[in-house]
Amino acid sequence: MIKKLESIFMPLAESIGKNKYLMSIRDGFLVSTPLLIIGSIFLLIGNFPITAWTDFIEAQGWAGFIGKPASATFDIMAILAVIGIAYAFAGRMNVDKIFGAATALVSWFIVMPFTIDKVLETGETITVSGIPFGWVGSKGIFIGIACAFLSVHIYAWVNSKGWVIKMPDGVPPTVEQSFSALIPAGVVATVFFAINWIFALTPYGSAFQFVFEILQAPLLSLGNTLGAMVIAYIFLHFFWFFGVNGGSVVGAVFNPILQTLSAQNASALQAGLPIPNIISQQFQDLFATFGGCGSTLSLLIAMLLFCKSKRVTELAKLSLVPGIFGINEPIVFGLPIVLNPTILIPFMLVPTVNIVISYVVMSIGLVPYCNGIQLPWTTPVVISGFLSTNWAGALLQAFLLVLGVFIYLPFIKIIDKQYLQEEANAVNTVEEDDDFSLDDLDFDDL
Amino acid sequence: MKVVMIFDQIQAGAGTKDDKMVPLAGKKEALGPAVMMQPMLKEVDGHIMACLYCGTGTYEANKAEVSRKLCAMVKKLKPDIVMCGPAFNYIDYGAMAAKIAYDINTTTDVKAFAAMSKENEETIHEYKDKVAIVETPKKGGFGLNDALRNMCTLAKAKVNNEDTTALEKEICFQ
Repeated sequence: MIKKLESIFMPLAESIGKNKYLMSIRDGFLVSTPLLIIGSIFLLIGNFPITAWTDFIEAQGWAGFIGKPASATFDIMAILAVIGIAYAFAGRMNVDKIFGAATALVSWFIVMPFTIDKVLETGETITVSGIPFGWVGSKGIFIGIACAFLSVHIYAWVNSKGWVIKMPDGVPPTVEQSFSALIPAGVVATVFFAINWIFALTPYGSAFQFVFEILQAPLLSLGNTLGAMVIAYIFLHFFWFFGVNGGSVVGAVFNPILQTLSAQNASALQAGLPIPNIISQQFQDLFATFGGCGSTLSLLIAMLLFCKSKRVTELAKLSLVPGIFGINEPIVFGLPIVLNPTILIPFMLVPTVNIVISYVVMSIGLVPYCNGIQLPWTTPVVISGFLSTNWAGALLQAFLLVLGVFIYLPFIKIIDKQYLQEEANAVNTVEEDDDFSLDDLDFDDL
Repeated sequence: MKVVMIFDQIQAGAGTKDDKMVPLAGKKEALGPAVMMQPMLKEVDGHIMACLYCGTGTYEANKAEVSRKLCAMVKKLKPDIVMCGPAFNYIDYGAMAAKIAYDINTTTDVKAFAAMSKENEETIHEYKDKVAIVETPKKGGFGLNDALRNMCTLAKAKVNNEDTTALEKEICFQ
């Protein structure tokens, strides 16, 4: 059965994991991650979930200053995404990475409408020139991804034709690189110039509006559902069971959607509007799993409190501190979870239960939606829930953590019993079987 | 077929990557990758006799002594085969696995081989002609199941004294 499932799903995981487009998106978003975390710290200070504090900074007139670093990261995150993705993709296409990224950024700006609608006090709307925050923020991400790939592709194609200006020997390498980018970048710009013109003739008015309406909005509403999240997480954990980094594979497809939903939440928080999306990067990071994939912090607690075999309890003690900070490598490979059918069911079930319960209590309003503040995924449980929602989120996390302990319990007890048996056998039967005695092998007499 | 596996502290579940100084030790039970390998081992009629392990720092600090003790323990246990790995893309463990496998082959009557991923470039370059090194994926990479099965197949072939040249060409670094 497991072998059959493996033969069906592993080629899928492998084709995602080795896909140069998806991997470039994954790597590209990593560029913005530290910056969004820094922006989040300021967003958090400005919107700390204590009313007295937010009233105080508002009264002092500090809100605008505190909000600026958040605005300078979240509101322009599509720029970071275009640079990051084009840079990563250029590397995979074997062209100059920095020129590839810069050219992609310019091509994206070529097709962007440089107009901002401004509502005057009279109620009249006028259009002024400028780079609109809407398009350089979350709304411009999908077209940004498309521009990054298309421009680097054209750039690489021109390069491969050898249509580059070659400099005589003795010209400094930086000057030579700069000139060799001239023709590829020129061809890219010309193509995007044409694209911009063509879209201006359509009812959409611009490529940005077209991609937003046709691609981004439908994909976001599809991703922003309980079903999508549950299915993504079942796949993620199934891949881990076969030793494949599921987060990396599933995230390559799902993260652009989650990041965009998060950015919408953060913008709403900053603008003082209601938070629009339940599903977001934070919902995934902070409420689906605790202590790493499979929500293994619950498993660790079950191991520590209810198991007796030396192997299980020692592994649990060792893994506890990393586990609190979301790192579960010792358990995944040490217990192990990989290729261990006994633990597969709760490993997939616990995150699913966490997602479903969190989604339900958020949608009926018992717990606020995650506010889009990007906490490092190593932030310990309960603290992360509080910062991302309020005390209700912290309470929900604590409840889910305990619930997970009881779901894991019967399964880890099976393993524990088996290990206890093995440990007992090791003591009793060693002498006759293998002619060496050990509880632990003793190296001292060698 | 009696199998001994040699691990670092991470694979043995005895420490994290920072717990480099875990002392040399052993357990009679299957640990970490040995548990993952159980079904494949059964297919080739193998069972884990013991898993020996030490921290990579412990090995680094005293390579000669750790190697001598591991070889002595292997002599004492008399397994049919010793697997040093899978070391995945852990560079320190990869270096230790290849050298220990080489030492076991040269100083004892027991056969040994190593297993790691291609990220261990230096070690593979240095040892691929001296000891069989089965290719595995890196940690979290694709093809772990196949790699573990390959390790079992090679073990069985070596124990049966078969000519493993063709097999090694297929599954080991060349």
